[in-house]
Amino acid sequence: MLVAVSPVHPTRPARGGPPPEAIHPALWWAAGFGRSRAPGLATGFAALDAELPGGGWPGGLLTELLLPQPGVGEWRLLAPVLAALQRGQGEHGAGSDLPRSVMLFDPPARPCPWTLAALGLDAMQFFVVQGRGQPRRTGRTGRSGQGAPRARLPLPAADTLWALEQALASGHLGAALAWLPPRLPADALRRLQLAAQAHPGPVFLFREAEARSRPSAAPLRLLLAPGPSSCPDGLRVHILKRRGPPPGAPLLLALPPVLGSAARERVRDAVVPRPAAQPGALASVALVAPSAVPARPLSA
Amino acid sequence: MHWLALHLPQLSLEAFAATLSEAERHTPLALVVQHRIVAVNGAAAEAGVRTGLKRATALALAPALRLAQAEPARDAAALQAVAHVALVFTPMVVLDDGPATVLLELGSVLRYHGGAARLRTRLHDALAPLGHRLQTATAPTAAGAALLARWGTAAHGDLAHGAHATDLDALRRLLDTAPVWLLGPGREHWEALQGMGLHTLADLRALPRAGLARRFGESLLHELDRARGDAPDPRQPLQPPAVFDSHLELYARADTTDQVLHGAGVLLARLIAWAQARRARIAAFTLRMRHERSRRHDADEGVPAHTTLTVELAEPGADAAQLQLLLRERLARCPLPAPTLELALHCRRWVQAEAPSGELFPSRQGQREGLVRLLERLRARLGDEGVLRLQPLADHRPEHAQRLQAAPVQGVGSTPAPAGGALPLHRPAWLLPASQPLHERSALPLLDGRPLQILSGPERIEAGWWDADLAARDYFIARDDGGALVWIYRTRLAEPGGWFLQGRFG
Repeated sequence: MLVAVSPVHPTRPARGGPPPEAIHPALWWAAGFGRSRAPGLATGFAALDAELPGGGWPGGLLTELLLPQPGVGEWRLLAPVLAALQRGQGEHGAGSDLPRSVMLFDPPARPCPWTLAALGLDAMQFFVVQGRGQPRRTGRTGRSGQGAPRARLPLPAADTLWALEQALASGHLGAALAWLPPRLPADALRRLQLAAQAHPGPVFLFREAEARSRPSAAPLRLLLAPGPSSCPDGLRVHILKRRGPPPGAPLLLALPPVLGSAARERVRDAVVPRPAAQPGALASVALVAPSAVPARPLSA
Repeated sequence: MHWLALHLPQLSLEAFAATLSEAERHTPLALVVQHRIVAVNGAAAEAGVRTGLKRATALALAPALRLAQAEPARDAAALQAVAHVALVFTPMVVLDDGPATVLLELGSVLRYHGGAARLRTRLHDALAPLGHRLQTATAPTAAGAALLARWGTAAHGDLAHGAHATDLDALRRLLDTAPVWLLGPGREHWEALQGMGLHTLADLRALPRAGLARRFGESLLHELDRARGDAPDPRQPLQPPAVFDSHLELYARADTTDQVLHGAGVLLARLIAWAQARRARIAAFTLRMRHERSRRHDADEGVPAHTTLTVELAEPGADAAQLQLLLRERLARCPLPAPTLELALHCRRWVQAEAPSGELFPSRQGQREGLVRLLERLRARLGDEGVLRLQPLADHRPEHAQRLQAAPVQGVGSTPAPAGGALPLHRPAWLLPASQPLHERSALPLLDGRPLQILSGPERIEAGWWDADLAARDYFIARDDGGALVWIYRTRLAEPGGWFLQGRFG
């Protein structure tokens, strides 16, 4: 990727000359945001939109989300854009009114339809692709295991990567969410990035947080972490890489609350309820109190 | 009728040279049949090697000469590839007329291809990857075109255009001046006819037919009659085979991947020609390499006789560069246990090429079809259980509230998503496939050895008395050590008591 650096005054573009975006779409002032082919899809969080090039999740580019573990708030973060895609309101190009499906590749667990409905998503429009190297989770009881022998496959998730590449190259998906295995070779990501160019919507790759120190072909990388203890419905978003100036401090986004208002008040006041449903069993339990950190102002 | 004949004068030499590397092709080469030289290339001719020499003489003249046996099977395979390329242009392609000659009937397709000149240019372009020297001729009769093409360069020296007879009279005039050696597939009668003082076909035609038939057989006269248009000449068009099978014996054993790839390139070019003739898109093909095995059996205990590589295409295609690329990737990953002597390429899985989409703008229907095609492709490789769809079920027990089922393609993209957002968000986004028992310390749950901090609850779910899977639980929302929210429950009535982790709030 090219970055134009003005030798005189990096923050102010020279007057008179054409803007670098007009010379080449991959060219931008280092002080500003790079532009992708199309404006991004609104994330639903104004503070995050302001920090992302294109003002939202980029289409046709890989977006890496690095999580310490599944379940830090990624569904609530992505729900607005996924819902917009499913309703067919997401895209700006031709055929903008077409509802599009979302495909999950090797999800770590099963999405819960109640939550999806509460987030405004249609569970029927989700497809789940599981590679042969992954334990299959079929059947109502959800037994795990009986995966195919891994030794035959050249890569632990060769099937998943292949399927993801196919899905991206076909260009018929609204969004793709893929949970990639750890220790992924760098060229696998480059292949995906190439395939993503045919894909109109966003591509979210979920990877382990340890991957942050390793280079990646994804043009946008975010590190997600749960909010501080005073704010259980918050999500810390640290932008690791973007087409634009180096990002500043991590954002704290207020996700749609899971806890009821009373429970939130209690957490904020560091008063924790006791699960004293069975008398006697829990009577002498000292509950772990949250650390007394003052509540940080939320960005959104 | 408008027949175009393609004659490949150097076919057997070119078919042999295709097995050599680029540099080796320009060294002296010759083919032998029964210790006699039958074909030489330019470098060998410069050294003085001519057809008809004895093998030992030729080697004395050019010690670096590469000699190989002429193989009719190898020539036939190369000629068949040329015929398959020709099938792209016209359905009427005939292979059975004389050696190294392909006949195309063009009268019915001239208008489609925009005239004879443009068609000929396209044909030459399409044949260029096979790397053959061509002599062409057109004539109103098939046999006449074949004769003129074989005469081709010898008479006119015009390689690209050859002899052209547009009507029967012109053809007959041309044939009258043609030499007699053209008749008969292998110049069998040439010496006898020359001994009789006959040089051109006009001389031959001036003789009484009965005597000629007695002396040389009916076939000689019959060939002349068909060429001149005096006798009917029905032809059977060539049908490309339903599966592709071709093999190539390498001149020198191939030790490296590059050498194998070079030989496979010849086979791939044939495969592409076949695919174009059948309007096929290749879904998968197999390269089989026969390895050299030394005589000592103890040395090759671990060496297999064959290595088979199967290359599957995600989307069926017939692009030579793509196939070559895929094969290169597969070969690079595959260690070769022994030098390769022979290559064989098979293609049994292919699909008919689709008609191009006529839609200008993406539509709901096109979008749906594209998604269905994608799902089918994924299912082809991953199996039915690899592509699933989430189906909500009406049950209060979380583990029974949804099901992953093999995705039915019907109904994709048909129902609009409901406008949600009004429901409370007190359920986790991730449900674990099976509840995970939690250790407890002082009756408080631990996750990974760290205490969980309970934030909200209990929410009681009690259901399932109607089937054997009774759930009587109190659910709590808790926070783990890192700050993430989890959904845990404590069983009430059931036997394995204690705390369980059921889901994570995503």
